[in-house]
Amino acid sequence: MKFIGLVLKSARRSKRRTALTILSVALAVFLFSALRAVLEGFDAVSAASSAQRLVTIRSTSMIFSMPTSHGEIIRSTPGVQDVTWANWFGGIYKDPKNFFGQFAVEPESYLRMYPEILLSPEEKKAFLDDRTGCIVGDGLAKKYSWNIGDRIVLQPGIPVYGSQDYPFTIRGIYRAGSSAVDNQSMMFHWKYADERSLQKGEVGWYVTRVADPDRAVQVAGTIDQKFANSPYETKTDTEQAFSAQFASMLGNLNVLLGSVALAVVLTTLFVAGNTMAMSVRERTTEIAVMRTLGFPSATIFLLVVGEGVLVAVVGGIIGGALARMVINAEALGLAGGFIPAFGVSNGNVVVGLGLSLVIGLLAAVIPATMASRLKIVDALRRVA
Amino acid sequence: MPLIELRDVTKSYKRDAIEIPVLDNVSITVDEGDFLGLMGPSGSGKSTLLNLLAGIDRPSSGVIRIGGTEVSGLSERALAGWRARHIGFIFQLYNLIPVLTAFENVELPLLLTTLSKKQRRDHVMTALGIVGLSDRESHYPRQLSGGQEQRVAIARAIVTDPTLLLADEPTGDLDAKSAAEVLTLLQRLNGEYKKTIVMVTHDPHAAERATHLLHLEKGTLVEQTRVASAG
Repeated sequence: MKFIGLVLKSARRSKRRTALTILSVALAVFLFSALRAVLEGFDAVSAASSAQRLVTIRSTSMIFSMPTSHGEIIRSTPGVQDVTWANWFGGIYKDPKNFFGQFAVEPESYLRMYPEILLSPEEKKAFLDDRTGCIVGDGLAKKYSWNIGDRIVLQPGIPVYGSQDYPFTIRGIYRAGSSAVDNQSMMFHWKYADERSLQKGEVGWYVTRVADPDRAVQVAGTIDQKFANSPYETKTDTEQAFSAQFASMLGNLNVLLGSVALAVVLTTLFVAGNTMAMSVRERTTEIAVMRTLGFPSATIFLLVVGEGVLVAVVGGIIGGALARMVINAEALGLAGGFIPAFGVSNGNVVVGLGLSLVIGLLAAVIPATMASRLKIVDALRRVA
Repeated sequence: MPLIELRDVTKSYKRDAIEIPVLDNVSITVDEGDFLGLMGPSGSGKSTLLNLLAGIDRPSSGVIRIGGTEVSGLSERALAGWRARHIGFIFQLYNLIPVLTAFENVELPLLLTTLSKKQRRDHVMTALGIVGLSDRESHYPRQLSGGQEQRVAIARAIVTDPTLLLADEPTGDLDAKSAAEVLTLLQRLNGEYKKTIVMVTHDPHAAERATHLLHLEKGTLVEQTRVASAG
């Protein structure tokens, strides 16, 4: 404990340099936490995905649609309990920057399919009864300060939905009962969009509930077989695989984000290491003096490592706190409703702090070894 | 009773493949309570001798015994502990830590002891009192004059009450007035506090303050004198 004052004083020797090192570690931890939050978001979906739900899209790509007639054929497949469908609307709320997921859904069956969308019976009824009504997640409502009864207008963002604005009345604000549902999305009646659509009777994807989760893969195969060699061939997968496929549209996200995180951390490690080495080199005489006073090599080593760890952990705390503040407040809904709103979890903050600790340790080890192995006489002679 | 015994001590450095002799078979004894001045031209080996006494360098051969401990035989770790307990070192350029106050600089060697914070404070204030700088405890080195810095360095050297004080040209960087103050202080530490001091110096005025003088030339002891007027 008595050496802590010494470590603190040493760290404050060059305030600007220490501040810049802290900043670089803070930035690294911030980026690492942000990237980890995205990956955690995808993992949360996988973990919460229902084993009973299948998603059917066009075999070519999920951006192509299918006819509504597919719905009845899917419903008649043995093992299928319920079917619903949805379209990606892609509308613009005031400004294209205000991006959030908007889904044109078949309301009754969709709410049956997703019991995780939590609404009061009154809200549910009001939504079902109003063809221009919509429901929004509580996160989204909070972001735009929306209340039940508010009217909002979306401009169509995809040409197929025409050029006229779509007014909506908010009939319900739902809560997400699990990570499989995003609380940053909006859902409205599929018919409302369809009646103005230039391609009527088109569906983006079907969601099917199977009676027996163990037979889900088999049922998926049967569904796809029914549309084989038709103009609208399908690809049916479990909800989990569907989420993963969405992620894969962005490339191999895990590898991509992992590589970015690694590059950031390594760069910071080199920066911090170089700074520490520079700092130790400047203090050669002081270290030699301390050794002359009787400070053992091991104590000198620990003092330098302690300084590196202190600077890095302060950076880690700042980076973690920033990530919590900025990402949890701003980055919500970036995944467009396909993964739930993600945030920096406590676990993520702990990992970030651990990372800063490791950066501090690794960056300081070589300078600390240099300092502890210093030949006193040579070091003193360098200045005298 | 001799506090310091050097027997046939030689020291040479290797520069590339060339062996450069610095000390050649030096044998001396210094009694407890002596104030020894080490004199000689540049390159005569006096600073090397001081470094060997301080245990921050090792002889190529020979034996160094201080206070009954054969210093030349100690391991690095043991030597560090021994230095902390027995040696107070005063540098020519003071070598205070610039980010520490006068108090913290003097306290530095005490961090290696088991003393409590209060005990450390008492020791530091006593040492600063002896050098006449009690009122400068919170000053940083840059806020002190050269003479004051050297006095803080002396306080740091004596704060652990070491067996031996070693001073490497302690007045070499000071003006005449400050140098005189520092030498008077060293003389007081020797006379009043019975500290054994070995001081390297070029300055004949400084040498006059010592009780004994050793002259080195080309690594060899050429003359040993007792200074009559000292004290």
